[in-house]
Amino acid sequence: MSLARPSSSLLRPVLGFRQFHTSRVAAVNASSQVRNAVVAADETGGFKYVPGGPILKGTVNDATTFPAPSKSHGSYHWAFERALSAALIPIMGGAAVSTGSAYPILDGILGVSLIIHSHIGFDSCVQDYIHERKFHYLGPLAKWALRAGTGLAVWGVYEFNTNDIGLTELTKRVWTA
Amino acid sequence: MRATALRTLRSTTSSSITCNPARAFSISVPRSFAQPTDGAPPAGKAPQIKEFKIYRWNPDTPAEKPKLQSYKVDLSQCGPMMLDALIKIKNELDPTLTFRRSCREGICGSCAMNIDGVNTLACLCRIEKDASKPSKVYPLPHMYIVKDLVPDLTLFYKQYKSIEPFLKNDNPPAKGEFLQTQEERKKLDGMYECILCACCSTSCPSYWWNADQYLGPAVLMQAYRWMADSRDSYGAQRKEKMQNSMSLYRCHTIFNCSRTCPKGLNPALAISKMKYEMALDK
Repeated sequence: MSLARPSSSLLRPVLGFRQFHTSRVAAVNASSQVRNAVVAADETGGFKYVPGGPILKGTVNDATTFPAPSKSHGSYHWAFERALSAALIPIMGGAAVSTGSAYPILDGILGVSLIIHSHIGFDSCVQDYIHERKFHYLGPLAKWALRAGTGLAVWGVYEFNTNDIGLTELTKRVWTA
Repeated sequence: MRATALRTLRSTTSSSITCNPARAFSISVPRSFAQPTDGAPPAGKAPQIKEFKIYRWNPDTPAEKPKLQSYKVDLSQCGPMMLDALIKIKNELDPTLTFRRSCREGICGSCAMNIDGVNTLACLCRIEKDASKPSKVYPLPHMYIVKDLVPDLTLFYKQYKSIEPFLKNDNPPAKGEFLQTQEERKKLDGMYECILCACCSTSCPSYWWNADQYLGPAVLMQAYRWMADSRDSYGAQRKEKMQNSMSLYRCHTIFNCSRTCPKGLNPALAISKMKYEMALDK
């Protein structure tokens, strides 16, 4: 390098030497893929992993990949979630004008749909904030804790509706209390 | 005659302006160039000093924590836009300040940054005239920073590449070009104008938490732009790719994207149309 770039301070002002910036020698090839097999473990396609920096799969020219397609995780899930939310409005209205003891089926539908609705909501939180791919222990734990909680809630509502006054009746009593 | 005119012009203007005598004619009048004012405001204007607090981080000293550095700029000697102030700071106060900029008119998307809490293009953002309040300038939120106001957009571009943002059709018309009705063309309005400045994606909380898998509003709007294109025949395959819980359905209709878009586009609308069409299996 010293041959190519004479560092004599005498020459520079005389010849008008331009000081080339040499901190990134390989900058010309920065975007091209490295094709030989000798790539260090902490680098991909000529880009070295910097501690604290982004972890990118493949080179900068590789597109990101998609998870395996599954409609039950995609559009069916979304449509079911929206349909359930929309259906809750008439169910709530129906429960408000009826009495739980007179219409136990409606009371049961209300209990189950409310719980599934909140299960989907909490499941969204789990996927957003403690997804399994990032939290290897907490993620699955939260997922199964939520499932267990939902199961318990359904059982509890069933017991409450069959052996006690039921959801609708409870709401009415609390409302007027 | 012309040479004399040039010489007189030169003598009246500042020495920093160079006219090329080899050119046959001068397109712009050197008098109309911006002139150095030696720190004095132009006649009839009172100096108005405004403080700019700008995020600084230098990769050469990674152990040093990022900090807000304060600069004071006289607004009476500065252009009206935030980018003018940044360029003025870089020219006159601190040449080490680093930011991206190119077109200065909101068409390249380079100068996307977080100004006073809102992601926007510095070239389209007016400087708040109230000089008593400092303006804070940060890089796009929740991005890896290359230096100062320069975020690393590598992942954003990799995601853009993953949606195959180009026309795919196995049966092109035998002769001539694809023809569209005006209604079909109209579907693309409000989507093709996107300049991929990443303001919307980086304003989306869902993208902050799950950027590695969720595509974000900018890329999703471009994905839908190709689904909605009547000339593209791969709509079903494009939608099939989105059939998972992460790529598309991490959108929780927060609407930060539509609110922040400096071009006034509506990525949330495009995403909801995509969800709707996918739910109906169109």
